[in-house]
Amino acid sequence: MTGQWNWRAVKLVSALVYVSMFVPLLVVVVNSFHPQRMASFPPSSLTLHWYGEFFADQMLLDAVWMSTKVGVATAICAGAVGTLSAMGFVRKQFPVKKGLVIVMLSPMLVPPVIVGLASTMFFTELGWERSILWLVTMHTLIALPYAFLIVRSRLFLFDESLEEAAQTLGADHLTTFREVTFPIISPAILTAMIISFVISFGEFTATQFWVSRETTTAPVVIYTMLETLITPKVNVLATLVLVITIAIPIAGMALQRWLASPTE
Amino acid sequence: MSSATQRATRVQDRLADNRYVRFLLSPGLGLLWVLALLFLPLTIIVLYSFYTAGEFGAIVPEFTLANYQRLFGSSTYPVIIAKSFLIGLVTTLIVLPLGYTLGYFLGRTESTWKPLLLGLVVVQFWVPIIIRTYAWIPILGTEGVVNQALLWIGLINEPLSLLYTMPGMLVGLVVSLLPFMILPVYAAVSTIDDDVIQAAKTLGASDWRAFWEVTLPLSWPGIVSGILFTFIIAAGAFLAPELLGGPGERMIAPVIADVFLGDFNWPFAAALSLVYFLLIGVSLYLFTRKADLEEALEGVSV
Repeated sequence: MTGQWNWRAVKLVSALVYVSMFVPLLVVVVNSFHPQRMASFPPSSLTLHWYGEFFADQMLLDAVWMSTKVGVATAICAGAVGTLSAMGFVRKQFPVKKGLVIVMLSPMLVPPVIVGLASTMFFTELGWERSILWLVTMHTLIALPYAFLIVRSRLFLFDESLEEAAQTLGADHLTTFREVTFPIISPAILTAMIISFVISFGEFTATQFWVSRETTTAPVVIYTMLETLITPKVNVLATLVLVITIAIPIAGMALQRWLASPTE
Repeated sequence: MSSATQRATRVQDRLADNRYVRFLLSPGLGLLWVLALLFLPLTIIVLYSFYTAGEFGAIVPEFTLANYQRLFGSSTYPVIIAKSFLIGLVTTLIVLPLGYTLGYFLGRTESTWKPLLLGLVVVQFWVPIIIRTYAWIPILGTEGVVNQALLWIGLINEPLSLLYTMPGMLVGLVVSLLPFMILPVYAAVSTIDDDVIQAAKTLGASDWRAFWEVTLPLSWPGIVSGILFTFIIAAGAFLAPELLGGPGERMIAPVIADVFLGDFNWPFAAALSLVYFLLIGVSLYLFTRKADLEEALEGVSV
């Protein structure tokens, strides 16, 4: 019965991997309710004290709001540009297509430190000051390959004869897209947007090059707090970010399922 | 309708039907985004790396090799770069068996909990790396969860120093990168037909042999994808060395950020980035000789 024992070993290692992935997150959440500054774990009692302090700190709230704005704008930009690119790559034939796909995906390959540093030098050379627009533009670059891949894999499954039928019936390109293509691929576009939001919301390594005092984001504030002042408020901020980055995709998927469910 | 608007509409129609205009919109817009915001800035790095660093962060556009002389003049920076790639390799070697095991489990299990278990891995992707990394501080510290548990069991008499050491940093790196191995391996393993494995066993292969000669080769695309992401992200890690590593474990990404944001020495930061970038390029070239880059990159979008 070696097979059963092997499978048990697989299950044991898998369980340990789950523990290693979730215990740290659990500790962060529990510590956000920890009464003491120097936390020993587990806490003997729980308090909402740090939540009170957190919501009284305008700087922290501003950072969360900034991340949300940048995330939403990135989701829209990366969703739109990713969809357009995916359509072009799936439907059209053009030279060096295989190489150009790698160009589209290259933001995944270039280390974020270099993406951050190169663009900062470039924009400074152009005289473009750090702003929220700068953040959205660059976060869109980072999220673009993911949005592109998600929409593209849906388009590979797409039955193109549906579009041909629409065009035979006299619809132009735009109408075909609006009435036929878009409704079918819209769940994939929504997924692409959600993933783009999550990537933007959590990005730190490149973003530290792009923020100014006025446009600082939640991950950058978490990092600054860890480096300078040791305050349990950081656990509250992290818990909030954790909840947002998990709740938004789940809400999005629920929305998708609701939209896809047959209506009477 | 006036003739002017008619003409405008006609021009619009002709533009909309023009191949080049349509190419420029789709897929051109995405390509332009990447070329203008990634490839063009990368050429600026080349230029800046030959500029002279003036005082107070000034950049003097005078050609110099000083940045490269400083970089290669002592062993400091070559060692940092080599160490980063080595850490990338070590992380990958730890992530591979752990991530593979869970990916394999998810691919082969018939549990009713499977969608939930899979979802729990996907959730890891959503949570920012900074949170998944700093979360280890209260766990690995001298007063942390691990030390308290070990002291309580009686395995140790004094707390171990885990935080701000190489092992501590590796723990953070490995756990944060596990999902990049788990999901592509799961995707590959779940497409393997159970009949193929059964056939091997019917022909007399032991469980191990069936695994080594059938399952493992068929899950190769997932493994390759996981290795690519784990290696590149680990070698370029910023947060794990900064938050969990010791002062002796300097890695290239934090060093570049320090030179750029701390010392304001943009030319030297550019030279460091360029050397680092070229080495990543070499790694990717070696990778493409063994595997398909596009396929490997697709691996995470399951």
